[in-house]
Amino acid sequence: MATNLAKQKYDLQKASFFRKGVAIALSSGICFGTYSAFLTLGMERGVWADWYGPASALSAFVVTYVLSAVGSAVNDTLSGIWFLILSAARGKLADVGRTFRTKPGLVMIICALIGGPLASTAYVVGLQTAGSLAATVAALNSAIGAILGRLLFKQTLNLRMVVGIIVCFGSAIILGGTTFDGEFGGSTLLGLFMGFLAALGWGIEGCVAGFGTSVIDSQVGVTIRQCTSGLANLIILVPLLCLVAGNIGLAPELLGQAFTTDAIIFFVIAALPAGLSYMLWYRGTAMCGAALGMTCNGAYAFWVPLFCWILLGLICGEPGWALTPVQWAAAFMMFFGIFLIAMNPLDLLKKKEA
Amino acid sequence: MRPLNYAILKHLESVPFASPTDVIEALKGEYGSFKALRFEGVRESLMTAEQNGLLEEDHYDLDDQENLHIYYRVTDYGRSMIDKYIK
Repeated sequence: MATNLAKQKYDLQKASFFRKGVAIALSSGICFGTYSAFLTLGMERGVWADWYGPASALSAFVVTYVLSAVGSAVNDTLSGIWFLILSAARGKLADVGRTFRTKPGLVMIICALIGGPLASTAYVVGLQTAGSLAATVAALNSAIGAILGRLLFKQTLNLRMVVGIIVCFGSAIILGGTTFDGEFGGSTLLGLFMGFLAALGWGIEGCVAGFGTSVIDSQVGVTIRQCTSGLANLIILVPLLCLVAGNIGLAPELLGQAFTTDAIIFFVIAALPAGLSYMLWYRGTAMCGAALGMTCNGAYAFWVPLFCWILLGLICGEPGWALTPVQWAAAFMMFFGIFLIAMNPLDLLKKKEA
Repeated sequence: MRPLNYAILKHLESVPFASPTDVIEALKGEYGSFKALRFEGVRESLMTAEQNGLLEEDHYDLDDQENLHIYYRVTDYGRSMIDKYIK
């Protein structure tokens, strides 16, 4: 009798851990959607409206490449500050300092640099040169993460999971609203390559940092991630891009204005769910494995347009943010894909028969 | 002093097997003031390490109050990773 009760409690705990992992990984995508909506709103207001407006005094290169890096720099830095405060509140600040100086901490820093400045910049360059095709290629990050999880950490990747990943990838293509006009020039190829680099960067980050979360506390890990990414963007990436634009003095000028504009409030709001999304992504991936964790997170392809529609369309009354019926259908398709990776649908039928 | 999560894995390496309650008991001297040294948190750390192949289950049982205790031990792979990454 006692043995039966122990077995019941054991099965319950195992199932509860799995469900919690899936819920955490799905929540990461929801946080990503919330953060993207507030970041988009922030980058339409205050000094950003002048920079992106028709009367902008900035060159096309600066508007296209440098401003995105400035946005990421401000967001990741504020997010790092949020997580330093949260770590202090939860008594983990000393562990952040201790972890920084260890090998797993160094791995987390490298992941932050690959997934932060490198992948994000490649993604933006890809979007500028190949449009939504680059976004589509970047959505491969879940598949890359799953393959790396199999190769590096011997995680499970069977045929059913591969089919689920393909279904999710297909729905991400539809959600991204991919259009292709048939002209396939050199810049399109460069953009596709950049999109692939972004997918590779995020695939490595999700898989390696996810595994790292089995050693490092996820909140400590993401505090390191956001501080590293924010500082690297501030000190290296933005000045470097300004140097390429021919005026390194532009870097402190743009950053100074970005931190003091009225629109900073939207960045402060966005920075909290931004950090949460990474924390939950790492934790969910650590709890469910790279294949399931990363595709659950990949549902951001639906949450981003949804939250942009709610915040910018419904609340702020801006036109053009409504989701199309095709996008809704793609979202359902994506959740079916996630379900397919998480479990065998035949198991449900077996349970009913039993 | 190591970060708490490192200390948890190092403790597992030093004993044949341990449950979350054993880990808390062993670490409360040095980490007793840590808010994260709670049953739920330690249990999740151990289950996450198991999911990633660092630990494996040894056995489980119920105590007098019918609370479940799962005991974990370090795998060979886990031992090599812990030795390589945690000093």
